[in-house]
Amino acid sequence: MKKIFNIQNALSILYFMGGLALMGGIWELISSLTKNEIPSPKDTWVVFKEVMQNPMQNDPDYKGIGVKLLSSLQRVAIGFGTGSLIAIPIGMLMGSSKIVMNIINPMVQILRPVSPLAWFPLGLAIFQDSPQASIFMIFICSLWPTLINTAFGVSHIPQDHKNVSKAFGFSNWKYITKIVIPYTLPHILTGLRLSIGVAWMVIVAGEMLSGGMGLGYFVWEEGFNGGSIAKIIVAIIIIGIVGLLLDRIFMYLQKKFSFAV
Amino acid sequence: MSTTIAPSINEKSKNIFTKATLQPINTAYSIEIDNVTVSFKTPAGVYTAVKDISLSIKKGEIVSIIGHSGCGKSTLMSTISGMVAPSNGSVTANGIVVTKPGPDRGIVFQNYSLLPWLTVYRNIYEAVDAAIKDKSSAEKKELVENNLKMVKLWEHKDKLPGQLSGGMKQRVAIARAFAINPTILLLDEPFGALDALTKSSMHVELLKLWNLDNRQKTIVMVTHDIEEAIFLSDRVVVMNNGPAATIKEIVDVPLPRPRNKKEIVHDESYMAIHDRLLNLLIDKFSINDIH
Ligand SMILES: Nc1ncnc2c1ncn2[C@@H]1O[C@H](COP(=O)(O)OP(=O)(O)OP(=O)(O)O)[C@@H](O)[C@H]1O
Ligand SMILES: [Mg+2]
Repeated sequence: MKKIFNIQNALSILYFMGGLALMGGIWELISSLTKNEIPSPKDTWVVFKEVMQNPMQNDPDYKGIGVKLLSSLQRVAIGFGTGSLIAIPIGMLMGSSKIVMNIINPMVQILRPVSPLAWFPLGLAIFQDSPQASIFMIFICSLWPTLINTAFGVSHIPQDHKNVSKAFGFSNWKYITKIVIPYTLPHILTGLRLSIGVAWMVIVAGEMLSGGMGLGYFVWEEGFNGGSIAKIIVAIIIIGIVGLLLDRIFMYLQKKFSFAV
Repeated sequence: MSTTIAPSINEKSKNIFTKATLQPINTAYSIEIDNVTVSFKTPAGVYTAVKDISLSIKKGEIVSIIGHSGCGKSTLMSTISGMVAPSNGSVTANGIVVTKPGPDRGIVFQNYSLLPWLTVYRNIYEAVDAAIKDKSSAEKKELVENNLKMVKLWEHKDKLPGQLSGGMKQRVAIARAFAINPTILLLDEPFGALDALTKSSMHVELLKLWNLDNRQKTIVMVTHDIEEAIFLSDRVVVMNNGPAATIKEIVDVPLPRPRNKKEIVHDESYMAIHDRLLNLLIDKFSINDIH
């Protein structure tokens, strides 16, 4: 068993390396076709190392990439955190009451497809402050997946579990903590995983709009306005890797809290 | 379903039964099922599972219900427990009209109904904790421990239900129902997934529990096992096929207690009862076979 597992592991690493090599080759090709307008992987690597120097330097005139990353993450954490704290209880109410569902669901259906960027000016008007506006945007777009998944989970609690609660006279508190939450947790985590993905996508756009901070600003100001496509590519890679890590954290939690029936 | 012949016979036997049970008026009934009909709303229309069921069960009586799969045994149990409200008629338990489940009625569900995220121990503890209000947490823990030992699952107390065999899950469900010490035990095929040996020892445990309480506990049990029904019960209720299933016949089991499993099988009245029950069930098989 263990041996097979190892071979599979080695194989998947091999495929991964192969994929990277393929991508590097295509990149190299595009770079030479555009006469280095798109920088080659090697040139980008040089810029990458440059960007990575003193990542935590935090002077008024120069903020390292790590500081920018942390400031983006912080805004995501605040927006996503407050959004989730509101989405989970409302989702539970929607899932447990048809009436609440019928009241809230139409609103959700209308607001959910709205591009997160459309909320930015509204946030700006409300808060008169662009960092807060981008947090507001994250907050709004973090709501929907968690809300919908939580409501779905709660409304699908099996009759068997409800019967246990009824038969043994569980208090509301016991019902919520011993049945609703454990049963719904995997659904909630699915919602949170989708939300954090959206939030991470949106924060970059938000910071481009608001300016002055975070990875989005880095892409726009130092990359595009600074005329360095290499920096844009470096930023894209960093954003991608951080997004992947965030996703993996929630995937791990999902696995940890799913139960065998 | 060809129930064209059956209903007329049923009506008669039911009426005879109703008259018979009305006689011992002075006895306090533990459960009174009065003219109960249960219908379900389904996408395909209203489905009547059981119809016009009347059955009075004395305090301390052990009654088994047998009948074909899908005839409405579990449905009837659910109305006694208060999970399902009858569409017509009423159920009275311990003198109170049943409107919702209560800790006076302990249930072993047919499908065990354990909470998959709680350990064996926690599954029982949470039920005990919810159902019993006037005991300290130490006393509750003792109850859980005693009952887990009774079903021989103490060593498995930290496992999750997903890690148990079907029979083990069933024993957890039994321990959970016993632990809350109800005056009425409702057991829906409680021993169905157990091997013969474990089943026998569970029978002994059930009767022990019943004796401990001076035979004051009322037990209603659904089973497909005729021998089990006779060995444990005072009466065996045989149901007709659904839809709109009624009681076909109630067979008395006047064998003296304590009963010895090995010896009673040679008893003449045991054999007569066994024969009668088999006939009632095979009768149904033959009707079905025509289709
Ligand atoms: N909640 C429900 N909604 C609709 N129909 C139901 C519901 N519960 C039971 N029924 C129907 O009522 C009938 C009786 O079901 P029940 O579970 O009581 O049978 P049973 O006698 O316990 O069968 P088994 O021996 O297989 O356990 C079945 O036809 C079933 O489909
Ligand atoms: Mg059943």
